[in-house]
Amino acid sequence: MKNNIRVERAIKNITQADLAQAIGVSRQTINTIESNRYVPSTVLALKIARVFGKPVEEIFTLDEED
Amino acid sequence: MKSLFLFPYWGRYLGYFLVVVHIPIVLYKKQLMGMHGDSMADGIFNGRHLFFMSTTLLMAIGLFIAAFSKEKIEDEQIVRLRLDSLQWSVYVNFLFLIVSLIFSTDTEHILFLNLLVPLVFFIIRFRWKIFQNNRLIKE
Repeated sequence: MKNNIRVERAIKNITQADLAQAIGVSRQTINTIESNRYVPSTVLALKIARVFGKPVEEIFTLDEED
Repeated sequence: MKSLFLFPYWGRYLGYFLVVVHIPIVLYKKQLMGMHGDSMADGIFNGRHLFFMSTTLLMAIGLFIAAFSKEKIEDEQIVRLRLDSLQWSVYVNFLFLIVSLIFSTDTEHILFLNLLVPLVFFIIRFRWKIFQNNRLIKE
């Protein structure tokens, strides 16, 4: 699964730490999601989407391998 | 994220403390035994058994608390890492168990190895992964 959290963060001008705090996870978790080393649960994906005010599909998209 | 059945955060330090404390006691006793010989009577609840039991319990409880205490921020990624590490430690433990069953008949030490390997390997693997994540965030 791919994601464009890094881009969305840049648009909103917030850091990994800000996003982590907003959804109640560690900075490490945001970092692992951004670098595609961890696939978040649906709950976490929805929370991230809510922070950016966009639907989940605009932030997370399926890969060819999925 | 709500994680069930975990000790509080400070449990890790209490656990390490117990493990560290048990090492000099065991070493000291070994020295004493070296002087007096290993000729104490066998059986249950004699001096030797009580000493073995108390030091082993100290270490086992220490490892147990250190392995299963909460992180500062408990989230789903940590839960995932913990489960992955547990799986790895069971694999490694069974590898050790099978190899030692084939090549050894020393059941007491096999038992002891089985007490140590899963938790020690789990702690090392879990800590290593967290360390890696922390290092990547700084780059």
